[in-house]
Amino acid sequence: MTRYFKLLLVQLRVSAAAGMAYRADFLLEGVMALAWMGLTLLPIKVLFDGRGSVAGWDEPSAYLVIAFFMAVRAVMEGVVSPSFVDLVERIRSGAFDYVLLKPVDAQAIVSASRFEPWKTFDLLGGIALAIYAFTLRGAPPAVADLALALLMFVAGLFAMYSLWILCAAASFWVVRLDNLTYLLGAIFDTARWPVQVFRGIWRFVFTFVIPVAVMTTYPAMALLGRLGMRTALVTIGGAILLLVFSRLVWRAAIRSYTSASS
Amino acid sequence: MIRARNLEKHFKVHKRPPGFVSAMRSLVRRKYEVVKAVDGVSFTIERGERVGFLGPNGAGKTTTLKVLSGLLHPTRGEVEVEGFVPFRRQTRFLEAITLVMGQKSQLIWDLPPSETYAMNRAVFDVPHAQFRQTLAELTELLDLAPLLDKPTRQLSLGERMKCELAAALLHRPTTLFLDEPTIGLDVAMQVAIRDFVRSYNQKHEATVLLTSHYMDDVVALCPRIIVIDAGTLIHDGDLRQLIKTMDPDKRVSFTLTDGIPEDAIAKLGTVLVRDGQRLTIKVPEREIPGVVGQLLGPYKVADLAIEDPPLEEILRVMFGKSREARDLVDNGAAAREAAG
Repeated sequence: MTRYFKLLLVQLRVSAAAGMAYRADFLLEGVMALAWMGLTLLPIKVLFDGRGSVAGWDEPSAYLVIAFFMAVRAVMEGVVSPSFVDLVERIRSGAFDYVLLKPVDAQAIVSASRFEPWKTFDLLGGIALAIYAFTLRGAPPAVADLALALLMFVAGLFAMYSLWILCAAASFWVVRLDNLTYLLGAIFDTARWPVQVFRGIWRFVFTFVIPVAVMTTYPAMALLGRLGMRTALVTIGGAILLLVFSRLVWRAAIRSYTSASS
Repeated sequence: MIRARNLEKHFKVHKRPPGFVSAMRSLVRRKYEVVKAVDGVSFTIERGERVGFLGPNGAGKTTTLKVLSGLLHPTRGEVEVEGFVPFRRQTRFLEAITLVMGQKSQLIWDLPPSETYAMNRAVFDVPHAQFRQTLAELTELLDLAPLLDKPTRQLSLGERMKCELAAALLHRPTTLFLDEPTIGLDVAMQVAIRDFVRSYNQKHEATVLLTSHYMDDVVALCPRIIVIDAGTLIHDGDLRQLIKTMDPDKRVSFTLTDGIPEDAIAKLGTVLVRDGQRLTIKVPEREIPGVVGQLLGPYKVADLAIEDPPLEEILRVMFGKSREARDLVDNGAAAREAAG
């Protein structure tokens, strides 16, 4: 286990160093991160302009969904997407061979092979926004609600990670999957809205098929003390099942890996 | 120790004729063909041996190396490396081997090689003291000092290859699979890499299996060679013995400063190459002293060299024979099929 921890630390350091290799890019990324934070809040401000509540959510509560949205997006754009692009490139060039030659689990190496250090600002922005939302509400969250929210957030991250691993596994069979990250990004964009905003089939899709609701709405509901224990348990169970399923598919993909020719 | 017994690796590949119509048709109905990249290869390599693994393009060399290093599952047959079954990819197995691919890189492109080394240290869990000692050793042997802190993208091909070798050997593996480690390098760099591989082999009693299209690499490094063609083994044995069996005659090359009568040249041996005053003739080994005497006595010779036939020539003949044999087998099978 210490080997994996050391690997994670080195990957973090190396990614930060790689990020700083091109000075202009590094500065630009920083400015972009700040601009994105502002833009993320704009649609919600427009939506609540003159309205007291939307689909049962008042403005400060909706900020909490946005806060989790920013946090999940920080993880997705900071770790998941760069690592995915890196994996697809390694498979295409055949350099993935070197991953399989290392005495650590290949999934562990590719899962966090690249970090975008600037995305930490999105994460901090999410935390700041959650604090601001509770300031507007006038009362802090209960400790139990906070714990459940964190648990839901982790379950949401697991669900997102599992979806990513399934896409990564698919890239062993269909090599040109770079564009999939854009598609996933576009779908994930719906997570900025509370899932109750969607009706009928879309609510079902965003809860069970592509569980973006699990990633942002449920943690926000937990923080507000509105999430039922049954829903929480089903969410955790679902996330674990998805994780196990993605692991099995990944292992099958590795077995069928044929390696690019010399 | 490396052992392969009746090793087979088949690939199912999609085949379609050229053209737009066939491309459209292949979207609906695909035709597949099974390619036998490795077809029943057996050999054993003892610890500390340096073996050249030769064959024409597409012979199955790289596929065999990938099976031996655990990257590919064999279709059939048994493989064992250092007591492990490679495709299980156990930690201790992966710590004992390395694969260097001349055409693929494991160095992080935008960062200096030292960052890749730090990453490999963590992955292989090499203790700090051992890491420092090995890196110092490799730095000296490969003359890496000026390269360690230069971004990989700024290194020349030869410099990058030296850094790749170091990255592959930091965990001190005892089995080295080297797939064209000198490809694209200039002669001086090729010699440096060869010298390094030899000294690593001697110092760590490491087993080396080397593929290269540069026969000089093989002649300089490998006392034994294994030759495969179209996935089947066509030779396994001592390199010098193979040369002697296939072509026992020597090559005598010399440069004359004055002229020499044509009939005198014909008496010396068969002329293979003639480039102005520079000649290469083919002479049976037992006649070498006489021929050299005849040459140096009456004529003025600027230089003279006696060599074995080039390995490239020997292999060309071998691959030709192996292809003829395959054609015979295929034609026989076709004839039987037609008769049946």
